[in-house]
Amino acid sequence: MAKPKVALYWAAACGGCDVAVLDTNEKILDIANIADIVLWPVALDFKYHHIEAMEDKAIDLCLFNGAIRNSEQEKIAKLLRNKSKVMVAFGACACFGGIPALGNLTNRAEIFQRVYVEAQSDDNSNKVLPQTLTKVSEGELELPELFDTVSTLAQVVDVEYFVPGCPPPVDIILKVVDAFAKGQLPPVGSVIGSDKTCCDECDRVKEEKKITKIYRPHEIIPDPKKCLLEQGVICCGPATRGGCGLRCVKANMPCRGCFGPPPKVADQGAALVSAIASIYQGNTEEEIAQMVEEVVDPVGTFYRFALADSMLKRKRMGPTEGERK
Amino acid sequence: MKTARRIPLLKKMLAQLGIEEGRVRLDWVSASEGDRFASIVNEMTEEVKKLGPYGRNGGGKNG
Amino acid sequence: MRKVSIDPITRLEGHGKIEIFLNDEGDVANAYLQIPELRGFEKFCEGRPVEEMPRIVPRICGV
Repeated sequence: MAKPKVALYWAAACGGCDVAVLDTNEKILDIANIADIVLWPVALDFKYHHIEAMEDKAIDLCLFNGAIRNSEQEKIAKLLRNKSKVMVAFGACACFGGIPALGNLTNRAEIFQRVYVEAQSDDNSNKVLPQTLTKVSEGELELPELFDTVSTLAQVVDVEYFVPGCPPPVDIILKVVDAFAKGQLPPVGSVIGSDKTCCDECDRVKEEKKITKIYRPHEIIPDPKKCLLEQGVICCGPATRGGCGLRCVKANMPCRGCFGPPPKVADQGAALVSAIASIYQGNTEEEIAQMVEEVVDPVGTFYRFALADSMLKRKRMGPTEGERK
Repeated sequence: MKTARRIPLLKKMLAQLGIEEGRVRLDWVSASEGDRFASIVNEMTEEVKKLGPYGRNGGGKNG
Repeated sequence: MRKVSIDPITRLEGHGKIEIFLNDEGDVANAYLQIPELRGFEKFCEGRPVEEMPRIVPRICGV
């Protein structure tokens, strides 16, 4: 009987999810034994035309990491969806937008302006910007169209499973591979993580959540045994799905939400606004204004990994901002 | 009192998302203040009309 | 001219494609390397707190 076929692909990604798969160390050989990997750009030399040549649903499992922010990424997501029985949004970018989704606070015109015209290291006095079609003397060259807005994988194609994390922890990756190998995948739509929040799973001492000042993480050295929020450091744990092993908190750094919102929370950032404002003890106008001032970057802190998945999804650009070029 | 703290923080975040201050308003009105309720709603309606439709560049992959 | 495409280039971090144009004799007339990705870190890091940079910019490259 033929071995099942597995594809791994990266869209607007950093390679960390692929490295996480490799971090399974010798277990990667088990994966290679039980399955034929038919696409994995970081490690193997298969091309897009190999995938195009396959029958629909010929691929048994596709682990797709990275967010969707250009036309090529959208095209390959749809191609792999057609050719795959099971599509997994692998990693925070594919699940929620990830760090690239912070690009939803700007748009193509502003990004091009900064990258190709303003950047101090640019040597581009002719202000050449990337074009989707460029004519050269030999013929034509094509580049994908950069979208203004970053999308999650599920906003572009149907997705069966979600593996959160930036990157997903090795034990969760192995859980997914094991379940796939045994034909014991969970119900479609499952997020492979805990059903509790990071806060629930954190073993720091929690007394009473009441703070009168918010500290930026570099302003204090937090006590490693006490709840970070209770020490005034914004920690996204209360509105983040658990299952990550509290890697950041164990390094005495606050959670930034890479496992996305917990079950039943529709919008991670809104939940965090609510949580932080709730625990802050301040009722006068001055105290409230001080709290608002102390949260230096609400959108970038509360939606660090999940802006594309949020209710508003992106910043509404003003009439003079980021003019389309 | 949590609402009194949530709304200003929410407004700061919404401003970062390009949503104008005038689209969110917090007021305290009791059930017996019918006139006041009506005038606040009218003021808000005028304010929002001046700001124009929301979603000028909203959603979708091309903004 | 005949065009040979290598798409995607593999076994490195990042996205790339190579277009090779061959003349009538089958020799390479020209070859172009293109990078079909851009995420915009240079722009969206603006306005973020400086102490968060060590948590954002490592996501430029996870290798």
